[in-house]
Amino acid sequence: MLRIDALSVNYGAVEALKNVSLDVPPGRVTAVIGANGAGKSTLMRTLAGLEKPLAGRVLFNDEDITGSKPEDIVRMGIALVPEGRSTIPDLTVEENLKLGGMWRTHAQRATSLTRVYALFPVLGERRHLGADTLSGGERQQLAIGRALMTGPQALLLDEPSLGLAPLIVTQILELVEHMARDSGLAVLLVEQNAATALRVAKTGIVLNLGEIVKSGPAREIAQDEELRHAYLGY
Amino acid sequence: MIDFIDYLLGGISSGAIIALMALALVLVWRSTRVVNFAQLGQAMFTTYIALTVRELTGSWFLGLIIAMAAGLVVGVIVHFLVIRPVKRLDTSGAIIATFGVLIALEALAAMVWGGDPEAFPPPINNSGYEAFGRIWPFSPYDLLVLASVVFLVLALSVVFTRTNVGLAMRASAFNPEVARLSGVRVNRMLALGWAIAGLVGAVAGVLVAPLSTLSPTSFDIFLVFAFTAAVIGGLDSLVGAVAFGIGTGLVIALVSGYSDSSNAPLVALVLLVLNLLFKPEGVFSHHKARAV
Repeated sequence: MLRIDALSVNYGAVEALKNVSLDVPPGRVTAVIGANGAGKSTLMRTLAGLEKPLAGRVLFNDEDITGSKPEDIVRMGIALVPEGRSTIPDLTVEENLKLGGMWRTHAQRATSLTRVYALFPVLGERRHLGADTLSGGERQQLAIGRALMTGPQALLLDEPSLGLAPLIVTQILELVEHMARDSGLAVLLVEQNAATALRVAKTGIVLNLGEIVKSGPAREIAQDEELRHAYLGY
Repeated sequence: MIDFIDYLLGGISSGAIIALMALALVLVWRSTRVVNFAQLGQAMFTTYIALTVRELTGSWFLGLIIAMAAGLVVGVIVHFLVIRPVKRLDTSGAIIATFGVLIALEALAAMVWGGDPEAFPPPINNSGYEAFGRIWPFSPYDLLVLASVVFLVLALSVVFTRTNVGLAMRASAFNPEVARLSGVRVNRMLALGWAIAGLVGAVAGVLVAPLSTLSPTSFDIFLVFAFTAAVIGGLDSLVGAVAFGIGTGLVIALVSGYSDSSNAPLVALVLLVLNLLFKPEGVFSHHKARAV
């Protein structure tokens, strides 16, 4: 569904990604793991259109979308949940959600909103409160909810575990995994917290200093002790 | 005591107009983080257009409507022709560029309409109401001004809080990146902010012109008052702009009443300095602090 072909991206003067190729198939979670500075966020931001690649292509349903604008990419069906719980604190919970997918029909948006409230009941309970009143975990749910409001076929999750308690991270990621399986959503998950990410992912990809050093079934990668010591530091 | 009430009554309509001007400044600040020093130059220009339409057709109302439309257009033109290209290089450059636009508009107006002050008579009676055996400094025209301002502010607040486009504009102001990732065409929202500010400024211009005369530079002094009100309100707060716009109008009326109207800009400066000393982020601001 989402195919990344020999992508190279510079971030300032740094070569953040070098010749990265990977596939993100529908119906499952693909996890990209690696230490800080491995290029994970650059990968996500480039896929969402926030950074321009030096070389390589991004294909979505066989269409070349390299270099498209973020607002066009999300309309095609790729939604990014950026790092750091990107909600807008000045807006209410429901306004944050309604921001997603304004180009869609009224009926589509109403269906998505009902679905998001069913997935994350706490958002429904607090719909009229300011987003700044939510806890960290709730804000992460809100950020994912806003992405779902755009009716995506592919969901990009950038470091959702950052600053959250392990139990909450597991809950959120298991929910995302169910969603992928049930509705055929393609999920690309980028995580520093490798153990948790590999537990929900089907495929694991290890990124180090902008290059893919290993990819394969998530279970194998989780058990590869050498890999863990060398790149993941645990 | 009766003097006090007279001065306050006399300040209401100019306060309401200053509120509109401050609102226009805030709308532009929220969308592009630029203080538009050309805002009242744009308003002056569209008010001349209103005057021309009125002289041709005899209709004050038609003049107002055409001025509003012109305000939208001028706002969009200034945004796309000047602000966007300059801002791509440097934000403070864009603020300087608005001064350039102001000077250009004043020069252009002087060329087209001449530099001499022109009368812009009120469309309805501007002499005060009579009650309790005396004449109060509040006229039917003041009432029209007040009603227009209240209507416009309410209409804007409905657009901003109850419509999709209003939500998209607010989100674009608060966090453009998240707005884009949600599918909002942020650049259009910024242009729309300039357009609406142009419209609001145009209404303010047409309403304020009968209170003095119209010349290419006659609105310059209002920039001082509107800027003061907008900054004290927090620069990004629509409520703050309206509240402190009216407040500034009333303070100016009292200062002018008890001393002399030439002291008003000085008082505005004092208010501004006090605000920056004691509450630099503004009274209604969303942000915790602001560099002074």
